Amino acid sequence: MNAGPTDRILVDEQDVYVLTRSADRELRGSDTALSALELEFLVLIDGHASVAEIARRNKTLVLSAVIDVFRSLIARNLIELSRKDAAEGMEIGDFLSSPSFYVPPAGAEREAGDEAAAGVSSLQQTGYYVRIARRTGSDRKLVEGQRLCVIVIEDEPHLAKLLRQYLTLEGFDARVASNREEIVAEFRRPPPPDLVLLDVMLPDADGFDVLYKMRTHPRLKSVPTIMLTSKATREAVLKGLAGGADGYITKPFEIDVLVKAVRAVLGLPEHR
Amino acid sequence: MSSDAFEQQMAMLRAEYRHDLPATLLGVENLWRSLATGSVPPARLMELQRQLHSIAGSAKTFGLAQLTESARAAEDFLEPYCAAGALPGVTEQAHLERLLHALKRAAP
Repeated sequence: MNAGPTDRILVDEQDVYVLTRSADRELRGSDTALSALELEFLVLIDGHASVAEIARRNKTLVLSAVIDVFRSLIARNLIELSRKDAAEGMEIGDFLSSPSFYVPPAGAEREAGDEAAAGVSSLQQTGYYVRIARRTGSDRKLVEGQRLCVIVIEDEPHLAKLLRQYLTLEGFDARVASNREEIVAEFRRPPPPDLVLLDVMLPDADGFDVLYKMRTHPRLKSVPTIMLTSKATREAVLKGLAGGADGYITKPFEIDVLVKAVRAVLGLPEHR
Repeated sequence: MSSDAFEQQMAMLRAEYRHDLPATLLGVENLWRSLATGSVPPARLMELQRQLHSIAGSAKTFGLAQLTESARAAEDFLEPYCAAGALPGVTEQAHLERLLHALKRAAP
Protein backbone atom coordinates (compact mmCIF):
# COMPACT_ATOMS: atom_id res chain seq x y z
CA MET A 1 0.00 0.00 0.00
CA ASN A 2 1.20 3.50 -0.68
CA ALA A 3 2.52 5.46 2.30
CA GLY A 4 0.77 8.77 2.71
CA PRO A 5 -2.66 9.91 3.74
CA THR A 6 -4.03 6.43 4.47
CA ASP A 7 -1.49 6.07 7.29
CA ARG A 8 -3.44 8.67 9.18
CA ILE A 9 -6.81 6.96 8.87
CA LEU A 10 -7.69 5.76 12.34
CA VAL A 11 -8.73 2.12 12.46
CA ASP A 12 -9.37 0.42 15.76
CA GLU A 13 -9.45 -3.35 16.26
CA GLN A 14 -12.97 -3.18 17.65
CA ASP A 15 -14.38 -1.18 14.73
CA VAL A 16 -17.15 -2.70 12.63
CA TYR A 17 -17.47 -1.42 9.07
CA VAL A 18 -20.19 -1.66 6.46
CA LEU A 19 -19.95 -1.71 2.69
CA THR A 20 -20.64 1.41 0.67
CA ARG A 21 -22.63 1.35 -2.55
CA SER A 22 -19.36 1.36 -4.49
CA ALA A 23 -18.32 -1.85 -2.72
CA ASP A 24 -21.71 -3.40 -3.44
CA ARG A 25 -21.22 -2.66 -7.12
CA GLU A 26 -17.70 -4.14 -7.01
CA LEU A 27 -18.96 -7.33 -5.38
CA ARG A 28 -21.85 -7.73 -7.81
CA GLY A 29 -20.01 -6.69 -10.95
CA SER A 30 -18.12 -9.11 -13.13
CA ASP A 31 -15.21 -6.79 -13.95
CA THR A 32 -13.92 -5.79 -10.51
CA ALA A 33 -10.39 -4.47 -10.22
CA LEU A 34 -10.17 -5.47 -6.56
CA SER A 35 -7.75 -8.16 -5.45
CA ALA A 36 -8.92 -11.53 -4.15
CA LEU A 37 -7.85 -10.49 -0.67
CA GLU A 38 -9.84 -7.26 -0.82
CA LEU A 39 -12.91 -9.13 -2.07
CA GLU A 40 -12.54 -11.62 0.76
CA PHE A 41 -12.37 -8.74 3.25
CA LEU A 42 -15.46 -7.10 1.77
CA VAL A 43 -17.42 -10.33 2.16
CA LEU A 44 -16.35 -10.65 5.79
CA ILE A 45 -17.09 -6.98 6.46
CA ASP A 46 -20.53 -7.49 4.95
CA GLY A 47 -21.05 -10.21 7.55
CA HIS A 48 -20.51 -7.58 10.30
CA ALA A 49 -17.14 -8.93 11.40
CA SER A 50 -14.97 -6.47 13.34
CA VAL A 51 -11.41 -5.68 12.32
CA ALA A 52 -10.13 -7.96 15.09
CA GLU A 53 -12.35 -10.85 13.97
CA ILE A 54 -11.17 -10.54 10.39
CA ALA A 55 -7.57 -10.45 11.58
CA ARG A 56 -8.16 -13.63 13.60
CA ARG A 57 -9.68 -15.42 10.62
CA ASN A 58 -6.91 -14.41 8.30
CA LYS A 59 -3.95 -16.71 8.81
CA THR A 60 -1.48 -14.93 6.56
CA LEU A 61 -1.56 -11.26 7.56
CA VAL A 62 -0.49 -9.69 10.85
CA LEU A 63 -2.91 -7.22 12.43
CA SER A 64 -1.05 -4.15 11.14
CA ALA A 65 -1.28 -5.48 7.57
CA VAL A 66 -5.01 -6.17 8.04
CA ILE A 67 -5.44 -2.58 9.27
CA ASP A 68 -3.56 -1.35 6.18
CA VAL A 69 -6.06 -3.18 3.98
CA PHE A 70 -8.90 -1.53 5.92
CA ARG A 71 -7.29 1.89 5.48
CA SER A 72 -6.95 1.29 1.78
CA LEU A 73 -10.62 0.25 1.50
CA ILE A 74 -11.71 3.32 3.50
CA ALA A 75 -9.56 5.63 1.38
CA ARG A 76 -11.25 4.29 -1.75
CA ASN A 77 -14.69 4.78 -0.22
CA LEU A 78 -15.47 1.07 -0.32
CA ILE A 79 -16.25 0.74 3.38
CA GLU A 80 -17.36 3.09 6.16
CA LEU A 81 -17.69 2.81 9.89
CA SER A 82 -21.06 1.35 10.80
CA ARG A 83 -23.44 4.00 12.09
CA LYS A 84 -23.55 2.44 15.53
CA ASP A 85 -19.76 2.36 15.70
CA ALA A 86 -19.46 5.86 14.29
CA ALA A 87 -21.81 7.21 16.93
CA GLU A 88 -19.85 5.47 19.68
CA GLY A 89 -16.63 6.72 18.17
CA MET A 90 -17.74 10.30 18.37
CA GLU A 91 -18.88 9.64 21.90
CA ILE A 92 -15.35 10.14 23.17
CA GLY A 93 -16.72 10.78 26.65
CA ASP A 94 -14.81 12.68 29.29
CA PHE A 95 -11.58 10.89 28.47
CA LEU A 96 -9.63 13.32 30.62
CA SER A 97 -11.37 12.17 33.79
CA SER A 98 -10.33 8.54 33.34
CA PRO A 99 -7.24 7.38 35.21
CA SER A 100 -4.15 7.45 33.05
CA PHE A 101 -2.25 4.20 32.73
CA TYR A 102 -0.13 5.04 29.76
CA VAL A 103 2.63 2.53 29.23
CA PRO A 104 5.01 3.54 26.44
CA PRO A 105 5.56 0.85 23.79
CA ALA A 106 8.59 -1.39 24.33
CA GLY A 107 11.77 0.52 23.60
CA ALA A 108 10.00 3.89 23.47
CA GLU A 109 11.80 5.29 26.51
CA ARG A 110 15.22 4.25 25.24
CA GLU A 111 14.40 5.63 21.80
CA ALA A 112 13.12 8.86 23.38
CA GLY A 113 16.32 9.14 25.43
CA ASP A 114 18.37 8.85 22.26
CA GLU A 115 16.26 11.51 20.55
CA ALA A 116 15.98 13.95 23.44
CA ALA A 117 19.45 15.47 22.99
CA ALA A 118 18.83 16.04 19.28
CA GLY A 119 15.41 17.43 20.13
CA VAL A 120 16.77 19.99 22.60
CA SER A 121 19.45 21.05 20.16
CA SER A 122 16.91 21.52 17.36
CA LEU A 123 14.54 23.42 19.67
CA GLN A 124 17.31 25.80 20.68
CA GLN A 125 18.44 26.38 17.10
CA THR A 126 15.20 26.43 15.12
CA GLY A 127 12.40 26.65 17.68
CA TYR A 128 10.89 23.34 16.70
CA TYR A 129 11.59 19.62 16.59
CA VAL A 130 9.75 16.95 14.67
CA ARG A 131 10.47 13.32 15.40
CA ILE A 132 12.04 11.77 12.35
CA ALA A 133 10.51 8.37 13.11
CA ARG A 134 7.04 9.89 13.16
CA ARG A 135 7.25 12.07 10.09
CA THR A 136 4.73 11.04 7.51
CA GLY A 137 7.13 12.03 4.75
CA SER A 138 6.75 15.09 2.56
CA ASP A 139 4.76 13.48 -0.21
CA ARG A 140 1.28 13.88 1.17
CA LYS A 141 -1.07 15.32 -1.42
CA LEU A 142 -4.40 16.80 -0.48
CA VAL A 143 -7.26 16.56 -2.91
CA GLU A 144 -8.82 19.77 -4.19
CA GLY A 145 -10.77 21.43 -1.39
CA GLN A 146 -9.57 19.01 1.32
CA ARG A 147 -8.89 20.75 4.62
CA LEU A 148 -7.11 18.98 7.43
CA CYS A 149 -8.46 19.59 10.91
CA VAL A 150 -6.21 20.92 13.68
CA ILE A 151 -7.30 21.23 17.31
CA VAL A 152 -5.35 23.98 19.05
CA ILE A 153 -5.25 23.51 22.83
CA GLU A 154 -4.02 26.85 24.14
CA ASP A 155 -5.37 28.98 26.98
CA GLU A 156 -3.67 32.30 26.13
CA PRO A 157 -6.50 33.93 24.15
CA HIS A 158 -4.31 36.05 21.85
CA LEU A 159 -2.09 33.11 20.93
CA ALA A 160 -5.13 30.89 20.42
CA LYS A 161 -6.67 33.49 18.10
CA LEU A 162 -3.40 33.91 16.18
CA LEU A 163 -3.06 30.16 15.72
CA ARG A 164 -6.66 29.73 14.61
CA GLN A 165 -6.49 32.61 12.12
CA TYR A 166 -3.10 31.69 10.70
CA LEU A 167 -3.87 27.99 10.35
CA THR A 168 -7.15 28.90 8.65
CA LEU A 169 -5.29 31.15 6.21
CA GLU A 170 -2.90 28.25 5.60
CA GLY A 171 -5.83 26.06 4.54
CA PHE A 172 -6.51 24.13 7.75
CA ASP A 173 -9.78 23.79 9.59
CA ALA A 174 -8.65 25.04 13.02
CA ARG A 175 -10.61 24.67 16.26
CA VAL A 176 -9.57 25.97 19.66
CA ALA A 177 -9.93 24.61 23.20
CA SER A 178 -8.61 26.39 26.28
CA ASN A 179 -9.59 24.16 29.20
CA ARG A 180 -10.61 20.59 30.07
CA GLU A 181 -14.25 21.02 29.23
CA GLU A 182 -13.50 22.55 25.85
CA ILE A 183 -10.85 19.91 25.09
CA VAL A 184 -13.35 17.10 25.62
CA ALA A 185 -16.02 18.98 23.64
CA GLU A 186 -13.67 19.53 20.67
CA PHE A 187 -12.58 15.90 20.56
CA ARG A 188 -16.21 14.81 20.57
CA ARG A 189 -17.11 17.12 17.71
CA PRO A 190 -16.66 15.64 14.22
CA PRO A 191 -14.55 15.56 12.15
CA PRO A 192 -11.78 13.97 14.21
CA PRO A 193 -8.56 15.99 14.25
CA ASP A 194 -5.67 15.30 11.89
CA LEU A 195 -3.35 17.07 14.31
CA VAL A 196 -3.36 18.47 17.83
CA LEU A 197 -1.27 21.43 19.00
CA LEU A 198 -1.07 20.99 22.75
CA ASP A 199 0.10 23.60 25.27
CA VAL A 200 1.88 22.02 28.22
CA MET A 201 0.62 24.40 30.92
CA LEU A 202 -3.16 24.77 31.01
CA PRO A 203 -5.31 26.30 33.75
CA ASP A 204 -7.01 23.07 34.80
CA ALA A 205 -5.06 20.36 33.03
CA ASP A 206 -1.50 19.26 32.44
CA GLY A 207 -0.57 18.99 28.76
CA PHE A 208 1.47 15.83 29.34
CA ASP A 209 -1.50 14.22 31.08
CA VAL A 210 -3.73 15.13 28.13
CA LEU A 211 -1.14 13.54 25.81
CA TYR A 212 -0.98 10.31 27.86
CA LYS A 213 -4.76 10.06 27.95
CA MET A 214 -4.95 10.55 24.21
CA ARG A 215 -2.38 7.81 23.71
CA THR A 216 -4.44 5.34 25.75
CA HIS A 217 -7.72 6.19 24.02
CA PRO A 218 -8.63 3.90 21.10
CA ARG A 219 -9.90 6.81 18.98
CA LEU A 220 -7.20 9.31 19.79
CA LYS A 221 -4.06 7.25 20.20
CA SER A 222 -2.82 7.80 16.65
CA VAL A 223 -3.60 11.49 16.32
CA PRO A 224 -0.32 13.34 15.67
CA THR A 225 0.41 15.77 18.49
CA ILE A 226 2.84 18.66 18.74
CA MET A 227 3.59 20.00 22.20
CA LEU A 228 3.84 23.76 22.69
CA THR A 229 6.27 24.35 25.51
CA SER A 230 8.34 27.13 26.95
CA LYS A 231 10.72 24.66 28.54
CA ALA A 232 13.22 23.23 26.10
CA THR A 233 14.99 21.15 28.73
CA ARG A 234 16.05 17.56 28.10
CA GLU A 235 13.70 16.35 30.85
CA ALA A 236 10.68 18.09 29.32
CA VAL A 237 11.48 16.86 25.82
CA LEU A 238 12.12 13.34 27.10
CA LYS A 239 8.79 13.35 28.94
CA GLY A 240 6.93 14.32 25.79
CA LEU A 241 8.79 11.98 23.45
CA ALA A 242 8.35 8.99 25.77
CA GLY A 243 4.68 9.93 26.04
CA GLY A 244 4.22 9.77 22.28
CA ALA A 245 4.53 13.42 21.16
CA ASP A 246 5.30 13.82 17.47
CA GLY A 247 7.01 17.17 17.78
CA TYR A 248 7.85 20.17 19.92
CA ILE A 249 7.58 23.89 19.42
CA THR A 250 9.07 26.31 21.91
CA LYS A 251 7.09 29.31 23.09
CA PRO A 252 7.19 32.12 22.26
CA PHE A 253 7.29 31.00 18.63
CA GLU A 254 7.61 32.63 15.25
CA ILE A 255 4.48 31.80 13.29
CA ASP A 256 6.37 30.52 10.24
CA VAL A 257 8.27 28.09 12.48
CA LEU A 258 4.99 26.76 13.77
CA VAL A 259 3.63 26.18 10.30
CA LYS A 260 6.86 24.43 9.24
CA ALA A 261 6.47 21.99 12.14
CA VAL A 262 2.77 21.43 11.44
CA ARG A 263 3.40 20.71 7.76
CA ALA A 264 6.34 18.40 8.57
CA VAL A 265 4.31 16.32 11.03
CA LEU A 266 1.42 16.06 8.58
CA GLY A 267 3.75 15.07 5.75
CA LEU A 268 2.86 18.12 3.69
CA PRO A 269 5.40 19.99 1.56
CA GLU A 270 7.04 22.93 3.39
CA HIS A 271 5.14 25.44 1.27
CA ARG A 272 1.59 25.30 -0.05
CA MET B 1 -1.67 32.69 1.62
CA SER B 2 -0.89 36.27 0.67
CA SER B 3 1.66 37.87 2.92
CA ASP B 4 -0.41 41.06 2.85
CA ALA B 5 -3.40 39.25 4.34
CA PHE B 6 -1.19 37.76 7.03
CA GLU B 7 0.57 41.05 7.82
CA GLN B 8 -2.79 42.78 8.12
CA GLN B 9 -4.08 40.14 10.54
CA MET B 10 -0.84 40.10 12.49
CA ALA B 11 -0.94 43.89 12.89
CA MET B 12 -4.47 43.66 14.28
CA LEU B 13 -3.51 40.87 16.66
CA ARG B 14 -0.46 42.81 17.87
CA ALA B 15 -2.65 45.83 18.51
CA GLU B 16 -5.17 43.70 20.43
CA TYR B 17 -2.41 42.17 22.51
CA ARG B 18 -1.03 45.61 23.40
CA HIS B 19 -4.52 46.91 24.12
CA ASP B 20 -5.20 44.10 26.60
CA LEU B 21 -1.76 44.20 28.19
CA PRO B 22 -2.40 46.84 30.91
CA ALA B 23 -5.29 44.75 32.28
CA THR B 24 -3.12 41.62 32.17
CA LEU B 25 -0.30 43.32 34.07
CA LEU B 26 -2.74 44.83 36.54
CA GLY B 27 -4.04 41.32 37.18
CA VAL B 28 -0.49 40.15 37.96
CA GLU B 29 0.12 43.12 40.24
CA ASN B 30 -3.16 42.68 42.12
CA LEU B 31 -2.66 38.98 42.62
CA TRP B 32 0.83 39.52 43.99
CA ARG B 33 -0.42 42.26 46.32
CA SER B 34 -3.14 39.92 47.61
CA LEU B 35 -0.61 37.15 48.14
CA ALA B 36 1.86 39.43 49.89
CA THR B 37 -0.78 40.82 52.26
CA GLY B 38 -2.18 37.37 52.98
CA SER B 39 -5.64 38.13 51.64
CA VAL B 40 -5.45 35.08 49.39
CA PRO B 41 -3.91 31.69 50.29
CA PRO B 42 -0.26 31.00 49.29
CA ALA B 43 -1.51 28.18 47.04
CA ARG B 44 -2.46 30.88 44.57
CA LEU B 45 1.21 31.58 43.98
CA MET B 46 0.89 28.93 41.25
CA GLU B 47 -1.72 31.09 39.57
CA LEU B 48 0.66 34.04 39.62
CA GLN B 49 3.36 31.88 38.08
CA ARG B 50 0.91 30.70 35.42
CA GLN B 51 0.00 34.29 34.54
CA LEU B 52 3.69 35.15 34.18
CA HIS B 53 4.22 31.97 32.14
CA SER B 54 1.43 33.02 29.84
CA ILE B 55 3.01 36.45 29.23
CA ALA B 56 6.46 34.89 28.77
CA GLY B 57 5.11 32.44 26.22
CA SER B 58 3.24 34.99 24.14
CA ALA B 59 4.71 38.52 24.29
CA LYS B 60 7.62 37.91 21.90
CA THR B 61 5.28 36.41 19.30
CA PHE B 62 3.46 39.75 19.32
CA GLY B 63 6.69 41.75 19.01
CA LEU B 64 7.45 42.33 22.70
CA ALA B 65 10.66 40.38 23.27
CA GLN B 66 11.74 42.31 26.37
CA LEU B 67 8.40 41.61 28.02
CA THR B 68 8.91 37.89 27.43
CA GLU B 69 12.36 38.11 29.06
CA SER B 70 11.07 39.99 32.09
CA ALA B 71 8.09 37.68 32.58
CA ARG B 72 10.36 34.64 32.21
CA ALA B 73 12.72 36.00 34.90
CA ALA B 74 9.83 36.44 37.35
CA GLU B 75 8.33 33.06 36.44
CA ASP B 76 11.66 31.27 36.98
CA PHE B 77 12.17 33.10 40.27
CA LEU B 78 8.85 31.76 41.56
CA GLU B 79 9.58 28.17 40.55
CA PRO B 80 11.11 26.92 43.85
CA TYR B 81 8.44 28.68 45.92
CA CYS B 82 5.63 27.14 43.89
CA ALA B 83 7.27 23.73 44.27
CA ALA B 84 7.49 24.25 48.03
CA GLY B 85 3.98 25.74 48.22
CA ALA B 86 5.23 28.70 50.26
CA LEU B 87 5.58 32.42 49.71
CA PRO B 88 9.07 33.88 49.32
CA GLY B 89 10.65 35.39 52.44
CA VAL B 90 10.82 39.15 53.01
CA THR B 91 14.15 39.66 51.20
CA GLU B 92 13.05 37.50 48.30
CA GLN B 93 9.73 39.34 48.12
CA ALA B 94 11.64 42.57 47.56
CA HIS B 95 13.52 40.88 44.72
CA LEU B 96 10.25 39.65 43.20
CA GLU B 97 8.82 43.16 43.39
CA ARG B 98 11.84 44.44 41.46
CA LEU B 99 11.20 41.77 38.83
CA LEU B 100 7.52 42.74 38.60
CA HIS B 101 8.51 46.39 38.34
CA ALA B 102 10.85 45.50 35.47
CA LEU B 103 7.94 43.63 33.87
CA LYS B 104 5.80 46.77 33.94
CA ARG B 105 8.62 48.84 32.51
CA ALA B 106 9.08 46.38 29.65
CA ALA B 107 5.50 46.94 28.50
CA PRO B 108 5.03 49.53 25.73
